[in-house]
Amino acid sequence: MLSISHVTKIYGKGKKRRLAVDDFSLDIKVPIFGFLGQNGAGKTTIIKMITGLLAPTSGTITIDGIVSSDASSKQNMGFMPETPYFYERMTGIEFLRFCERLFPGNGRGDEFLDGLLKKAGIYEARDYEISTYSKGMRQRLGFAQALVNDPNYLFLDEPLDGLDPIGRHDLKASMLALAKEGKRVFLNTHILYDVEEVCDEVGVIHEGKLLYAGPVKDFCAGRPLEERFVETVKEYEKKKK
Amino acid sequence: MKNIFTIAKNTLKLEVRDKIWIALAAFALGYVAIMLFLSDLVLRELSMVKAFALLGIYFFNAVIALFLGTTSFYRDVERKTVYFVLAKPVSRAEFLLGKFFGLCLVIFLTSATLAVAYLGVVALAGGGFDAMGLLAILMQFLEMAIFLAFAIFVSTFSSSLLSIVYTSVVFFLGHVVSSLVNDAREMGITGVRYVFVNILYYIFPNLEKFNIRDFAVHNVAAPWASFGYAFAYAAAYIILLLFLAIWVFDKKEI
Repeated sequence: MLSISHVTKIYGKGKKRRLAVDDFSLDIKVPIFGFLGQNGAGKTTIIKMITGLLAPTSGTITIDGIVSSDASSKQNMGFMPETPYFYERMTGIEFLRFCERLFPGNGRGDEFLDGLLKKAGIYEARDYEISTYSKGMRQRLGFAQALVNDPNYLFLDEPLDGLDPIGRHDLKASMLALAKEGKRVFLNTHILYDVEEVCDEVGVIHEGKLLYAGPVKDFCAGRPLEERFVETVKEYEKKKK
Repeated sequence: MKNIFTIAKNTLKLEVRDKIWIALAAFALGYVAIMLFLSDLVLRELSMVKAFALLGIYFFNAVIALFLGTTSFYRDVERKTVYFVLAKPVSRAEFLLGKFFGLCLVIFLTSATLAVAYLGVVALAGGGFDAMGLLAILMQFLEMAIFLAFAIFVSTFSSSLLSIVYTSVVFFLGHVVSSLVNDAREMGITGVRYVFVNILYYIFPNLEKFNIRDFAVHNVAAPWASFGYAFAYAAAYIILLLFLAIWVFDKKEI
């Protein structure tokens, strides 16, 4: 289980001080959880804190009882950053080999990595330099590298950005397949339609605060997700004033 | 340790594929090779061939080290490629050390290639096997390692352009601080000005310790103790710079 407990994140000091995440608590047990929020709401900050890229100012994040930034937690975690920048002069398979070698053990070998490239739909481009990849192919490679350690927890930051309809369909199918295998998928997105389709539960975040967490159906209550999302954010803004 | 090795190997692989490195290394190789022809035409003495070749190797290595040291680490952090690495069981220290050793390997590879070319040129020019020349190139490599460590340290808190400026300034001061202290003594400078010169001497690395080109050019054996001292000096300086770099990078919000 992923447990976020009273997490606060403040960037900068003095006049540059900015509260990005405000006393945020959440337990996630469902197979696919989606974080909804506007740009700058704090979604990426949270995912970066979970994956150990950023340290919370206060609070704790644990995965199955172990602090998420610990090396032992990271061994069981896959992360796909938003609009990833790769090592351009490497080929797709070289990049996956590099990522795989950063985990303890002898690795699973090229057969496993080729399988990931096939799953991501870029096997044909295995030996091409990443500099020649399109945006969609980069997203797919970003997804493949997140799976090199066969993780139980997968964190995806805006994974469907820049993908064509087939790419989106394939990636959503992969997420559902992973959930069926017993993996936990956590994704950040502002594409509401996709959330409705794949997520078991959602969290609505605005200005670093959690406004709602629970099943999508309960949140929507028969109305379109977009409408409910806008309404929730506006209600919060009204209360704040 | 395995992670440092993996990142170093990856850095080496990436940097030697860089067109700028390929161009600079090819140009340096061409420069050393051309000494062979110039030795017949202009540089009639073997010592001149050695001096120009060693200076050329030093210059090209310094340019490559400045370019790699100020861009490679900074680019990974700035473009957020580092996310792929640090989200895995890899510490920031391992990443930084991996980058440093990878860049050292690039400079070592460049130095080794140029050393082979240099030894060939000297042998063909009638100088036989130039062991002192080889040692001079090795000492240059140690200097470049300090250079890289400093460039990476500066890259942890400043932009690529500023890193070039800072590193160039340190490179320049590193070559003049020992002369400054000697000149100040000879000129009888005392008081605050003398203290200031001494502070500069102790803050900036004394890069002249690694310059044994004159010994090599005139084929005079340099004292062995100076090699050991230079090696220990380089190691201490590099450890200090990397320690500071890790400390700053650990606190940096990426």
